[in-house]
Amino acid sequence: MKNPNLCTPNDHLLSRRQWLGNAVVGATGFLTQQAFAEKLAKNDKQVLFVWLDGGMSQLESWDPKPNTTFGGPFRAIPTKVPGIHISELLPKTANHMDKLVLVRSLSTKDNSHSAGVDRIQRGDPKNRGVTYPYLGSAVSKLMGPCSSGMPPYVWIKPMSGGFITKDAGFLGPKYGAIAFGDGKAPENLLRPESISLETDLARNELREKLDRNYRLARRKENSEAVTTVFDMAAKLQKRMDLFDQSKMPAKDLQRYGESDFGRHMLQALRMLEAGVRFVKVTSYGWDTHGDNFNGHLSLVPKFDMAFASIIEDLQQRSMLDNVLVIVLSEFGRTPRINGHLGRDHWPEAWSCAMAGCGLKKGMVSGKTNSLGTEVESPPHDIGSMFHTWYKALGIDSSEIEYDNQGQPLPIANEECKILDEVIA
Amino acid sequence: MRLYFQPLFLILLLVGFVFATEPAVSSLHTKIDAMIDAKLTGKIKSPLADDYEFVRRIYLDFAGKIPTATEVEAFIANKSIDKRKLLIVELANGPFYSKQMANAFHIHFMERLGENPEWLKFLEESFAKNKPWNVMAKEMLRGKNSPENANGAAFFYSKRLESYGQNPVDYSALTRDVGRLFLGKDFRCAECHDHLFIDEYKQADFKGLFAFFQNTYLADAKTGLVEEKLTLQKTEFMSVFKKEKKEVGPKVPGRPEVTIPEFKKGEEYLVPPDLKKKVKGVPKFSPLEKIAEQLPTSENSDFSRNIVNRLWYLMMGRGLVHPLDLHHLGNPPSHPELLDLLAKEFSSHQFDIRWLLIELAQTNVYQRSSKVESGKIPEFPALFATAIEKRLSAEQLLASIMIATNQKIIIESKGAKEAELQVALKAKFAKAFANPAREPEDEIAFSLKAALFLLNDDAVLALLKPEANNLIAVLQKMKPNKDLVEKAYLSVLARKPEPLEVADALEFLSKPVSAADNGIKNLVWALLASTEFCLNH
Repeated sequence: MKNPNLCTPNDHLLSRRQWLGNAVVGATGFLTQQAFAEKLAKNDKQVLFVWLDGGMSQLESWDPKPNTTFGGPFRAIPTKVPGIHISELLPKTANHMDKLVLVRSLSTKDNSHSAGVDRIQRGDPKNRGVTYPYLGSAVSKLMGPCSSGMPPYVWIKPMSGGFITKDAGFLGPKYGAIAFGDGKAPENLLRPESISLETDLARNELREKLDRNYRLARRKENSEAVTTVFDMAAKLQKRMDLFDQSKMPAKDLQRYGESDFGRHMLQALRMLEAGVRFVKVTSYGWDTHGDNFNGHLSLVPKFDMAFASIIEDLQQRSMLDNVLVIVLSEFGRTPRINGHLGRDHWPEAWSCAMAGCGLKKGMVSGKTNSLGTEVESPPHDIGSMFHTWYKALGIDSSEIEYDNQGQPLPIANEECKILDEVIA
Repeated sequence: MRLYFQPLFLILLLVGFVFATEPAVSSLHTKIDAMIDAKLTGKIKSPLADDYEFVRRIYLDFAGKIPTATEVEAFIANKSIDKRKLLIVELANGPFYSKQMANAFHIHFMERLGENPEWLKFLEESFAKNKPWNVMAKEMLRGKNSPENANGAAFFYSKRLESYGQNPVDYSALTRDVGRLFLGKDFRCAECHDHLFIDEYKQADFKGLFAFFQNTYLADAKTGLVEEKLTLQKTEFMSVFKKEKKEVGPKVPGRPEVTIPEFKKGEEYLVPPDLKKKVKGVPKFSPLEKIAEQLPTSENSDFSRNIVNRLWYLMMGRGLVHPLDLHHLGNPPSHPELLDLLAKEFSSHQFDIRWLLIELAQTNVYQRSSKVESGKIPEFPALFATAIEKRLSAEQLLASIMIATNQKIIIESKGAKEAELQVALKAKFAKAFANPAREPEDEIAFSLKAALFLLNDDAVLALLKPEANNLIAVLQKMKPNKDLVEKAYLSVLARKPEPLEVADALEFLSKPVSAADNGIKNLVWALLASTEFCLNH
């Protein structure tokens, strides 16, 4: 079938004139269009990006095919939206289907983890010899911090944390992620005991005075940038409660499931409440080449509890209209069940779930064939999803572009089209 | 003969005559100022920096650290008219010049890919001897210091020829880096097709450079020995747009292609390979030898233009061509005649880096203040009307904090324990202030990590403990009065405080919170964490 949405290896579509015409080279050599920047500055939309690393099986989650050759042992259950069925491993999420959009027509390119994780999170742009930013870095660049002044891109993940600059690609290290390893605060965030809060305030007040004085007679950009960073540090330091897992109410922990992922999702909710622009939560261990079904039987319910709870909480706090929720992996899993009762990598036909932020509610977009082996409706590559997410966030990906030291670059793959039908 | 009748020739003759009647040949730095000033008519130009601003700047640029309070005071007290020139020349010939330049070139050419003591030694020795840039570049491009010795200079290649895990050696990245760092041209986009909006960057340029390196390999990771395999034929390539086979031999962009010599079979090697002895063989034809011969020469204008632009950037905070690796017609220099002049003079002065830096340091452009009159908006940086603030490298920042807080023990002691401490501190500072690998440190980028480091890291706070005769200990022995504040300012910011700043500091010291928790430490901390301290302004 000829598919109008598929990325084709068409030669560079943008003409030279368009590129140069739209490029705005600012004093720093890197500015997006001023008007957009101003408009976006007033925009406090946020993102919750849930990354299921290794590849969640679409058949054991969003796109079950019970009683078929490759369907596996689990049933499909009805959801709150008549006609939409998802895996029985997601009973709590099924109750919130009226707030979700499922896209069952993902068809992407990479079937290896090493390339896929990067490619998907960078939106698989056309190769122009530059490394594109991960979605979180892109959103930090395009939208900046929220009016809260909190860091724009945080990443809650198991194991180690730190300042992860590789996510930023050509945007440069300052757009990287601050990773909270196992939800804990980054190095040096904790004030040592030798410095009291009062002393800390006093010494910073003096530092600020010095900086204001310095700035009076000089170019403002540099000292202002330093001030912004110190302010951000102060904002984050005031919210040490965000890292104190002992302060999480037992009732909430129970609802989110007493797993690492549950705790991290609860922490993500607090980060969003605190005004972080983009929160990424990673769960590892989804690469079920062996024993896929027991693997998903253990993993999916943990996801289900935390995910359903956060959707419920966002809704209850009236935040869902403002927070774009995305659940994604680097690919789906093969319909064919291998000799180890596992499923392998399958980028050809898989699904993602989304909610909030001006997306439609309670709908499924796209369709796979009866065996789940291929996408039957027009397939969508990850570039289409980037366009769609940007639209939901109020960023017009057809007009706004990056300026990489004079090299104009589209913010999403220009050969992919927006998935209009999921936008409300 | 017809030349005499060309109008252009007559004009040149006339111009030559006018210049010849001038009493003295003007030096390069006055010519530079005239060229910069020509674009500044009617613009807001900052006055020359005062002695405090100047002395801090020149120490940072030529010694890699701020001056001590004593050094500042001595300079201020010096009444000699040409004291600036004297200090410039003294520092450029001083013991810290080679270390600072080695660091600057290390950051520039390795972009935090890795460190190596032999490489740093090669750089330091080269700058100490003031080795001409074409010779240094030749050694780096040949991948050897001397025919016998691979150590040091080879690190530019050997680090880039390492392979990581299952990833193959990234020859494309090496090719790009040579183009960017030695020629000022980023051929990245020309790897797969002619550049789409920089007309003069052709795919053949990329492939021609690539042809020098495609057969190189790291023969000994320990010594960094780089060897070559046989290069027998041209490199074939094809644009992703136009499927048409092309080929090119080793070729420096803009220079003639190197002819690949033909040998009879079996006669290609100088040292034939011997599988039994695990000798891979040394080919007679060495593309590295050729690029080392052809690239760093006065005939290759890209070579001179790139380095003078980078040296200009090191001193002035912005390239005449900016970004530094995008020399092309569509991105002309802010002052084209100036770049021409610098390249020409540099090449005719035997690529003498120290000479050029001394000339640059003597310009008014360099010596201008980074301040503008209050309320006025500074001109666009490319006009160089106001000094541009520069980033301090992690190394400059560490050395400066040591000077500011007067950590004599660490500065002067050669003990093993101190050396260890120094290495650990250096690593901590690099982690907090350096960019990740492959990110050029060509703009000021202060990160949250850096702020948190200054705020709370043990390493920083440890420097604020009173010990021996360090700054805190000395200040603690003083009465909280103007002298104390002046001592603190002079030590950390290399200047005297304004009356208002004295008042602010004294008020801070008199606060109850300061008394309880040692206000002097926090006063010094605030000075160290200030923008003024963290930049080269």
